[in-house]
Amino acid sequence: MPPSEQSLQLLLNAAGEDAMVVHDDLVVAAGVLAARPGTVPESFRESVQSRAAKDDPRMVTRRVEIDGAPWLLLGTPVTHTTPGGERRATDVEVYAARDLSAIDEQLDQLVAAAAGTAALVLPLAVVVALLASGSVLKPVAKLRTTARRLADGDLAARTEPRGVDELAQLTRTVDEMAAALQESMESMARMQQDARRFAADVSHELRTPLTTLTAAVEVLHAALDERPSSAEGASGHSAEDDEVRESAELAIEETRRLVQLVEDIMEIARFDASTATMRWEETDVVAAVADCLRTRSWAGQVHVVGPGSPEASDEMVVMADRGRLDMVLANLVGNALRHGGAPVQVTVVSAPGEVSVEVLDGGPGIPESVLPHIFSRFYKADGARSRTVGSGLGLAIAQENAHLHGGQLTAENVDDGARGARFTLRLPRDGRGVVRAGDGASTGEPSGEES
Amino acid sequence: MSWMRRVAAAAAAGFLGLSVLTGCSLEPSGVETGPRAPTGLAEGTVLYFLDSDGELVAAERDTGRLGTIAEAVSLLLTGPGPGSSGLTTGIPETAQTRVQVTISEDMVTLRLPLPSTRVSARGIDQIACTALVAHAQAGASTDVRARLIFTDTEPEAEDGRLHDCPASA
Repeated sequence: MPPSEQSLQLLLNAAGEDAMVVHDDLVVAAGVLAARPGTVPESFRESVQSRAAKDDPRMVTRRVEIDGAPWLLLGTPVTHTTPGGERRATDVEVYAARDLSAIDEQLDQLVAAAAGTAALVLPLAVVVALLASGSVLKPVAKLRTTARRLADGDLAARTEPRGVDELAQLTRTVDEMAAALQESMESMARMQQDARRFAADVSHELRTPLTTLTAAVEVLHAALDERPSSAEGASGHSAEDDEVRESAELAIEETRRLVQLVEDIMEIARFDASTATMRWEETDVVAAVADCLRTRSWAGQVHVVGPGSPEASDEMVVMADRGRLDMVLANLVGNALRHGGAPVQVTVVSAPGEVSVEVLDGGPGIPESVLPHIFSRFYKADGARSRTVGSGLGLAIAQENAHLHGGQLTAENVDDGARGARFTLRLPRDGRGVVRAGDGASTGEPSGEES
Repeated sequence: MSWMRRVAAAAAAGFLGLSVLTGCSLEPSGVETGPRAPTGLAEGTVLYFLDSDGELVAAERDTGRLGTIAEAVSLLLTGPGPGSSGLTTGIPETAQTRVQVTISEDMVTLRLPLPSTRVSARGIDQIACTALVAHAQAGASTDVRARLIFTDTEPEAEDGRLHDCPASA
């Protein structure tokens, strides 16, 4: 039996003010659903009907807009429950609408309140967050700066630890590490200095007695030189005299070597202590080479290649300490004559900003194994050479002198037709600025501070 | 620079939060499925009587609607009526048919205007079935039992036996 219109009306009353009950073609409606019959879309009705056909019929909802206001539309099939408890769909559909304007308004108010609160609190939160992160990040930045300074060699760099947190502990640990590092570096430097001072002191103490000894031996030698003339007739003693003279000459030779060695060591000590002084003056390198060869009577054994013309000779002028330059040249040419061999050729070349002097010998060259150590102190190419003349410090001193000039001294072997060793001394035209700027990197210490 | 970056990040987060908040408004939506459809439509009230063998049998009284539990039990107390052939009842006729009904989550309590001595065991089943089926047809849970209180039930025994409906089980 179909439900009567009266029972549909009962259902309508139960569904609320804005409701509609549909049974087949029979429709009763109230409120906004009665005033606007098209409010319930066909699609919504279809979805209600499709759910009514299922085993477990369910209510459906949908938000719609009616006259610009939000409404909630509810639609449901109404079921019949059998005495056995089974639910069966009926042809009755109930629709109801609920005005959501009030809820929408509340929601808007809530959003406005939340936005206002956020707008007020957000800047404050940002400030607090920045302060908080700053309190963490600032010590880290400080620590990083300290670590950077330590890495750059400033061992006195420290960070003041603040607080008792892990960061402060880390800071303290870094400080302790820096202190330990500084201490060990200082003690190492002290030991090195002590060793150098010891060598300098020993050399200094040796020099005075050696000078006396040299003088004494020379007197002895002179005396022996006079003897043959005074004892011309006593030819029977001449063999004995020769032996004595030979011994005396040997003594003189060795004493001179000893004096040279001691002086070299003192020179090295001066380099190490940075007390080597430079007397800067304008120096013509070509003239310096010529002077060097002439005073040592090497002019005949050495071929000098200079500038082709006299005006080019002006380009060969550099700021240098003539005495030291002479020492370097004498060392290089002396080595070439002694260890290398003829022909020895000295070439003076002018280049932009610098003048270089090449000393090329005709010897066998320097063994490859020796080449990297050739400027090391007391380095001898082999044990057999240990008794040759020279202290073993000559090239080391020459290189130190080159550095004092802001220049460089390099060694290499040449094998282009003329074999041999080539030493190249490169001098900047004015090395004073270079030296002051701290070109002591090769010695590890500043040099030439007194100009 | 890192300071600037942090400020920019914080501002971006703030604007994001604000935009999420302002996007929160009631917009028309699609169709959403809700709870179970309501039930309770019926063409009449189901009452339980006894057939000639003394077994429970359901009879629909055409009232046009489901009605309440109290209405159903009251109708039951009036008897099967003259038109219903072969149906009997285990409940004596009574002038007073008003029944008080109290419904709780798992129990329907009926206060009946009869003494228990005059109601047969089948009569008690009739009352329990009529009440529980009316309750279930109205959309309530089926896992409910009935408690019957008669006029001669001692107040201290009111929490006594609970009855199921043997017909619907």
